[in-house]
Amino acid sequence: MNLKTLLLPVFFLVGTIVFSQESNSLSNFEKEFKARSNVFLGNTTFSKAQTFFFAKEWDSTLVYTTKALIGLKGNKKLSDYCYYLRAYSFKRKRLYAESEKEFGMISEEFDFNNRINVYLGEIALEQRQFKKAIKYFESTKDINTYEMAEIKKNDIEHNLGLCYLHLEKFDKAEYFLLKTIKSLEKEKDTIELVGSYGDVANLYYTQYKDDLAIPYFEKAYVLSKHTKRFDLKQNTALNMSVVEENRKKYVKSLTYRKEYEQWKDSLTDQNKIYEVAQLEKKFAIKEKQKEVSLLLAINKLKIAERNGFLYSAIILLLLLGTLFYSYRGKINRNKIITAQKETLNDLNDTKDKLFSIVSHDLRSSVNAIRTSNKKVTHSLETKDLEELNRLLEQNSAVVNGAYGLLDNLLHWALLQTKQSYFEITSMRLSAIVEQVAHNYRPLMEQKNVVFENRVLKSDIVEVDQESLKIVLRNLLDNAIKFSKQNGSIQVYTEQNSPMYCDLIVEDSGIGMDENTRTELMKSSKLLSKKKSENVLGTGLGLHLVKSMVVKNHGRFTIESQLGKGTKMIISLPKKSLNG
Amino acid sequence: MDKINVLIVEDRPEESNTLAKVLKEHNYTIVGIARTHKEALDIFYSNPIDIAIIDVFLNGSPDGISFAETINSVSGKEKPFVFLTSSTDRKIFERAKLTHPFSYLIKPFNELEILYAIETALEKFYEQPDAFLEEDKSTVISSESLFIKKGKSLKKVHVDDIIYIEVEEKYCNIITEKEKFVILISLVKILELLDQTKFYRTHRNYIVNAQKITEIIPSDNLIILSGNHKATLSDTYKSIIKKVRTLR
Repeated sequence: MNLKTLLLPVFFLVGTIVFSQESNSLSNFEKEFKARSNVFLGNTTFSKAQTFFFAKEWDSTLVYTTKALIGLKGNKKLSDYCYYLRAYSFKRKRLYAESEKEFGMISEEFDFNNRINVYLGEIALEQRQFKKAIKYFESTKDINTYEMAEIKKNDIEHNLGLCYLHLEKFDKAEYFLLKTIKSLEKEKDTIELVGSYGDVANLYYTQYKDDLAIPYFEKAYVLSKHTKRFDLKQNTALNMSVVEENRKKYVKSLTYRKEYEQWKDSLTDQNKIYEVAQLEKKFAIKEKQKEVSLLLAINKLKIAERNGFLYSAIILLLLLGTLFYSYRGKINRNKIITAQKETLNDLNDTKDKLFSIVSHDLRSSVNAIRTSNKKVTHSLETKDLEELNRLLEQNSAVVNGAYGLLDNLLHWALLQTKQSYFEITSMRLSAIVEQVAHNYRPLMEQKNVVFENRVLKSDIVEVDQESLKIVLRNLLDNAIKFSKQNGSIQVYTEQNSPMYCDLIVEDSGIGMDENTRTELMKSSKLLSKKKSENVLGTGLGLHLVKSMVVKNHGRFTIESQLGKGTKMIISLPKKSLNG
Repeated sequence: MDKINVLIVEDRPEESNTLAKVLKEHNYTIVGIARTHKEALDIFYSNPIDIAIIDVFLNGSPDGISFAETINSVSGKEKPFVFLTSSTDRKIFERAKLTHPFSYLIKPFNELEILYAIETALEKFYEQPDAFLEEDKSTVISSESLFIKKGKSLKKVHVDDIIYIEVEEKYCNIITEKEKFVILISLVKILELLDQTKFYRTHRNYIVNAQKITEIIPSDNLIILSGNHKATLSDTYKSIIKKVRTLR
């Protein structure tokens, strides 16, 4: 029994050796296989499977071949290749049953059927189905074609020998094993030789042909000295010890046993060293783990700290933002307030100025009437009716002037406080012009000014009636004021744009130079003292005109030539525009 | 032609007098000058009035507005009115505006402004915009009267006094018992504005007051009207015979 147990570890050497031989980069067989299967590289899944196959990544190969097989229907050749790849992969993964099944799926026409038989034999051997294995090996051992590249005949024969040995057909086993040893001795493959010698020795020993067996044991033992494999050394030493023990040569047996123990120890030593290494590794891992957890803790702390910083930074930023915002708001408010203050100051200044001028004008007017009244009483006393008439006319002119001024003042005040009633309706321009001009008839007659209202009855504009009247009053007042004796004033319209009706008040008066004109046009400031001191004005009238025209969505321009006359043009929106 | 009856509602005599003077100069009849809201109502209900001129403020309170509201609310007696105010104050004006004044006058005003305000009020009240655009002969037609522009002022003709109207291109000859005059209005427009139960078209150029018909002589295509006026009856309009029941 002892012997039989010893046999087992030696058997399987062959199978592994076969595998290790194949694990070269690309063997001849693989090259051949690749060349033949490259026909199918058009199928991308197959090409991937093939790539993985040669890279010896069996699992991936299996995955892609499954995919490739699903996509295939009818392509027998390609499916054969797929099955081959799968079967081989299973075999390498030591899933022998699966592998056998996959090999079974391959059709008869496949290029590598003989090789498959070898594989099937190996599988059968692994599964201890020796008879089956023998069938496969026997059918292939004498074939020597491209299919068999890298598969040595003596490997097959060795496997055959092993099979027969297990089946206890010793003569056949002997034949094959010796044959193998011969060829191995030729090739000087030490490691396999040790195995084979051991196998042959066991073969004889189990048949109690000790004389034949012992030299092989010794051979194996001697050869194992030259290898570096402890397991071989240990096994051969053990075999020797058993052999010697059975021959009752206990001393020798003991030496062999000791040697065996020694090898075993060295093996166990190795194992111990390995265990220690494992322990150290574990320890190191633990240390590392500790370090890692420490680092993790530190990291956590750091993160917490960082988050703290981040939050506080964000809060600070927000605070800053709001501060900045409110600061800006404050600055803006201050700006607005300053601007308002400036405008208020300006307004106040103009008001003050206006007050002084208006009061000055009014005072002179009233004063003129006062002095005139004295003259009137005097004339009445002397019954100088002609003088009286002249004085009264003069008085009424003064009063009219003062009234105009006061009227403008009132409207200016109303405009400032936005109290006046304002409603834009369609207005008959000619009627309004006529009505306003009516008040100025006596004044014009006095100056012998010819007035002509050439505004068409069909001219209709969208304006507020009262503000239009104020505008016209001032324009006519100005026109008369700046007209020479026997001059003429014309009011007419021009249609220069589809949206606006231009109302023009033209006089043949003294006119003005370009500077005065631009000054009048641009100056938003009131009360620019006029050059000619004779015709003193507040500028209030023109200011009102501009404001009112703007309020009525109109435009105001002046055209003038010094000495020839002035055109005051107001463009007012036509009826069609809004209505 | 008759004068137009004006009611003045104004508490201050000097103002109302100037106003009355100007209106009289332009051949308006002043039906009355009311100093208070009550007086105004009395005169309004006891006299035929064509237009009222109302001061917004009567003795310091805006009674003028109340009066205007009354005029507006008496159905069948609505009349055009003109607001008179010295105030350009927005609040008061906005309230006054709610009564839909047909025009307004801001003191001080000149005669042209008064006349224009009256014209505008009539145009707006009878919804005939720009009817008085032309200087002379232009007309606003109400159910009772024709308001005809004569120079700067207005005259009035009772619709019932019209015997017939003869159309001549843009103009219409109006023939009444006493006189004959021309107004500027198109045939289409006058037909549209006149009461169609009273006035019938008898010819391309004739419109006849049915109440003035004394005799119709279909054989001669002739209609004899009161005052022995004659109008032509063309075949197109002979259906009029059926409508006029007082055939003799």
